[in-house]
Amino acid sequence: MIEVRHLTRTYLSRRSPKSKEPFVSVNDVSFSLLENTPYALVGESGSGKSTLAMMLAAILPPTNGEILLDGNNIWALSPKELRLMHGEVQLVLQNSQGALDPRRRIYESIAEPLRKLRHLTRQEEQHTVHDILHKVQLQDDILMRFPSELSGGQQSRVCIARAMALAPRLVIFDESVSGLDVTVQKKVLDLLLNLRQEYQSTFLFITHDIDVALYMADHIFVMKEGKIVESITDAHGYDDFNHPYSRELIESLPPKTPYNR
Amino acid sequence: MRNKLLHNPQAVIGTLLIAIILLMGVLAPFLAPHDPMAVDITKKFLEPCNEYPFGTDQLGRCVLSRLLYGARYSLGLALPILAFLALIGTTLGMLCAWFGGIFDRLMTIVCDIFMAFPPLVIVLTLIGVIGQGAVNLILSIILSMWVWFVKVVRSYVLIEKDKDYITAAKISGCSGADILFSHILPNILPLLVVYFSTGIASIILMISGYSFLGLGLGNDIPEWGAMLNSAKQYLYSNPMLIVYPGTCILLTAAGFNLFGEALRDILSPEEE
Repeated sequence: MIEVRHLTRTYLSRRSPKSKEPFVSVNDVSFSLLENTPYALVGESGSGKSTLAMMLAAILPPTNGEILLDGNNIWALSPKELRLMHGEVQLVLQNSQGALDPRRRIYESIAEPLRKLRHLTRQEEQHTVHDILHKVQLQDDILMRFPSELSGGQQSRVCIARAMALAPRLVIFDESVSGLDVTVQKKVLDLLLNLRQEYQSTFLFITHDIDVALYMADHIFVMKEGKIVESITDAHGYDDFNHPYSRELIESLPPKTPYNR
Repeated sequence: MRNKLLHNPQAVIGTLLIAIILLMGVLAPFLAPHDPMAVDITKKFLEPCNEYPFGTDQLGRCVLSRLLYGARYSLGLALPILAFLALIGTTLGMLCAWFGGIFDRLMTIVCDIFMAFPPLVIVLTLIGVIGQGAVNLILSIILSMWVWFVKVVRSYVLIEKDKDYITAAKISGCSGADILFSHILPNILPLLVVYFSTGIASIILMISGYSFLGLGLGNDIPEWGAMLNSAKQYLYSNPMLIVYPGTCILLTAAGFNLFGEALRDILSPEEE
């Protein structure tokens, strides 16, 4: 469905503007994602995960390389087509409180993508919003509240609802659960697994937590310093990771029992 | 929101002061006991009495009537000036911050040039070239203040546009105009209202200040600053002629400042 070819993103360092050497955040990354499949991308902070997510979601233009959606390079599209493409590809950001407009009621936030990207009647829109709200296990009464009146778990559910309301084909979760405490995190992850089954979407979970990655997906990419160092198609446990960096990640985990699916 | 306003003493006092000044201006023709321009040299420097509650000035004009009509000049000039400044500031500030690039750099240079001149220099030069009068005063105050409004709006938008909810809005399919007008503007509006309402206080002070210097409106016009100007010669013999218009200016500026500061406390989103 989506194919990434030689994707590269560099930044000019602001701290040392004199150095001509740009900082390479994502370095010549290629992979492809199939329809209706869960994927996970693991890497430490600064490995270029978020930059990659922003490029896939058509928010940040790549320096080099291309992203093909059904064979069309998305960064060759006109601005309007690029905007409409968000109906197919959605991104759920890490900081769910910050990702909600503080002056908008929850209903408005969830309904916004529907209004901009789908042509629904008032009734259809309300129906869709209520429907997705129940699917992320939230009550109707939060629709008229403001983001600051919700808990962290509720905020991240709202962000998930906003992305899923469009029934997109690809949803990227950029550390979407890492701010939550462990019990809430587990509930949200289970919810996402159910949603994925129901909507038949492709999910790409970006996380620093190898346990979360194993719990969410069979196909796991490991990213280090802007490069994908390992791609495992059928990962079920720590033993499936072979690259030295992946081993290092696993060995640095604090001792605990991994999630059992 | 209304409850918060009512429970904030600053807001209540500020609103009351603004309301009093507004009423003075609107109801001046009904409240004023005399024509504010009527000169009667035989009645100059009268003590306060039933006919002239605040006495008369050096030309025998009713001080109370002049003060009441003065509210019209202060607000009637300051409000259109503020409206213009708000419009120019918001439009240019948002465009600069949103598009950035060469347009933003050029605007920054223009702003820096204007900011390098003290406002008094700009007003003096302009009034010297195009002459005295209300319209010229409005023009020169706008010209000396617009860059500040552009810079303030620009900096507010710059802070706002890097926030995560703007990225989220892009992902939700919002166009640039959608984001500017339906996300950024509502979020910076409280800050702008605060800036504008403290801005109006300084505009009122400017108008009175320039009139006091004899730059704005003529001495015959019952503007508070102009009244101060003509009363300053009688500072020792009739000090009340200076105290009355001075108090009016003080209360008006204080009213808008108190109101603006209270709004800032009430509208800051963290406390919602």
